[in-house]
Amino acid sequence: MADQGIVLSVNDRAYRVVVAPNETLLDALRDRLGLTGTKCGCDSGSCGACTVLVDNQPFLSCLTLAIRCEGRQITTIEGLAEGPVLHPLQQAAVQHGAVQCGYCTPGWLLTAKALLDTNPSPTRDEIRLAIAGHLCRCTGYQKIEDCIMAVARDRERASLDAVPGR
Amino acid sequence: MSMPSFELTRATSVADACALLADQGSATQVIAGGTQLLITLKNGTHAPQRLVDIGAIAGLAEIRSSPEGLSIGAGVTLARLADHPEVARRHQVLAEAAKAVGTLQLRSMGTVGGNLCQDSCCIYVDRTIEQRHSLAPCHKINGDRCHIVPTSGSCWANYAGDLAPALIALDASVSVASVAGTEVRPITSLFSFEGTRPIALGAGELITDIRVPAPNGRAGGMYLKLRQRGSLDYPLLGVAAAVTLEEDGTCRTARVALTGVDRGPVLVPETDRLRGRIIGDEFLEEIAHAAYKRARPVKNTFGYGASYRVRMAKPFVIRALRGAAARAEGREVLHG
Repeated sequence: MADQGIVLSVNDRAYRVVVAPNETLLDALRDRLGLTGTKCGCDSGSCGACTVLVDNQPFLSCLTLAIRCEGRQITTIEGLAEGPVLHPLQQAAVQHGAVQCGYCTPGWLLTAKALLDTNPSPTRDEIRLAIAGHLCRCTGYQKIEDCIMAVARDRERASLDAVPGR
Repeated sequence: MSMPSFELTRATSVADACALLADQGSATQVIAGGTQLLITLKNGTHAPQRLVDIGAIAGLAEIRSSPEGLSIGAGVTLARLADHPEVARRHQVLAEAAKAVGTLQLRSMGTVGGNLCQDSCCIYVDRTIEQRHSLAPCHKINGDRCHIVPTSGSCWANYAGDLAPALIALDASVSVASVAGTEVRPITSLFSFEGTRPIALGAGELITDIRVPAPNGRAGGMYLKLRQRGSLDYPLLGVAAAVTLEEDGTCRTARVALTGVDRGPVLVPETDRLRGRIIGDEFLEEIAHAAYKRARPVKNTFGYGASYRVRMAKPFVIRALRGAAARAEGREVLHG
């Protein structure tokens, strides 16, 4: 089947691209849009390095056809920071040493964002369950958990501080 | 990894999807979440000429509740199913089974219908193309032998869906649409127990929803999954139990089903013996033994061997039934 022109909405920007029906979202992001923050690891759905958010849900872009993403909101790691200001999760990842080689980092940061958006104060077990789909060969996961935990705690504290009379 | 080329057609309605599927026969395949399909395409074990995308069909991704029970659309994702309040509250076995699938990403993408129709797996077929080519093709990939059970003359690929045993334990049924209309069938009729083609749907047939009857009496359920890692893995054994109790605490109904130990999900009908009795040690051993006899795993999975998987059926059945009964009584039991 012939390639098809579609509009992909990535990080609140509309991109007009031509994709083949058998092209993955991963390949379209990296090769057509130049958004190489999304990584290709196993390319078969096991490692989580290619994770992006599709309508705020963590998706494996290596197992997603780009052509099926028209009309959906895609968030990649490039969309996490606001200009030069890092997202709190990115900031915490730096502070807690949760980034070593960096290959798994874009993927789990997005999963962590999706987790905290739906469950603002997760337990350590809930964090472990959420990031179980991300293989990290450097950190031993502890620092990643610490990072996500710290952001949740900071937000809790901030919301408590905002209560009048405290 | 490269994928073979194919045509992708977006179905606009169930009738449209059925017509497209009926028209093209086996060269056409449904794509829902795509999590398993795309792996098999990349791995070269499937090469459909056309994919029918059912992701945009309105109404296919809804969970509807009525006094008769739940109707779960085939396009509902596993993540949504696990988090649905009524499923979590009234059908714990189903919520636990959904949560036990793969990883969060796979659950966000994968659908209920897709998980039910999951293709069976085998340590030989699921290897890379290069590894696979070192041996002659097997039944599963249009060859003439089985490398796992060479004398059997048939394919022994393992059915490893997590939802199927839970839905069988809950006595669910499926709505199957075709150009001729929609038919409601018992969930067990979906499974052929043939390794090469484990799902007994005809050309042009599509699952539209799964119906889970409302529990009659105090109900509880539990799903236990044996695997090597705490996530990602297919079940090397999965046991689902669902019970309902009478007012006096005796068993009204008890159903147990197994997955990961045969070419389809296995119902253990011997649980009928629990009816009218207190679910306790005396009969649990007997049922666990019956389950052990019914499980027929062969050495075709990564991880634990067949004898360990079948031996674990006993303690798992006992723990799942005990856990289900405790939950029906409003108690919680620890399991892991």
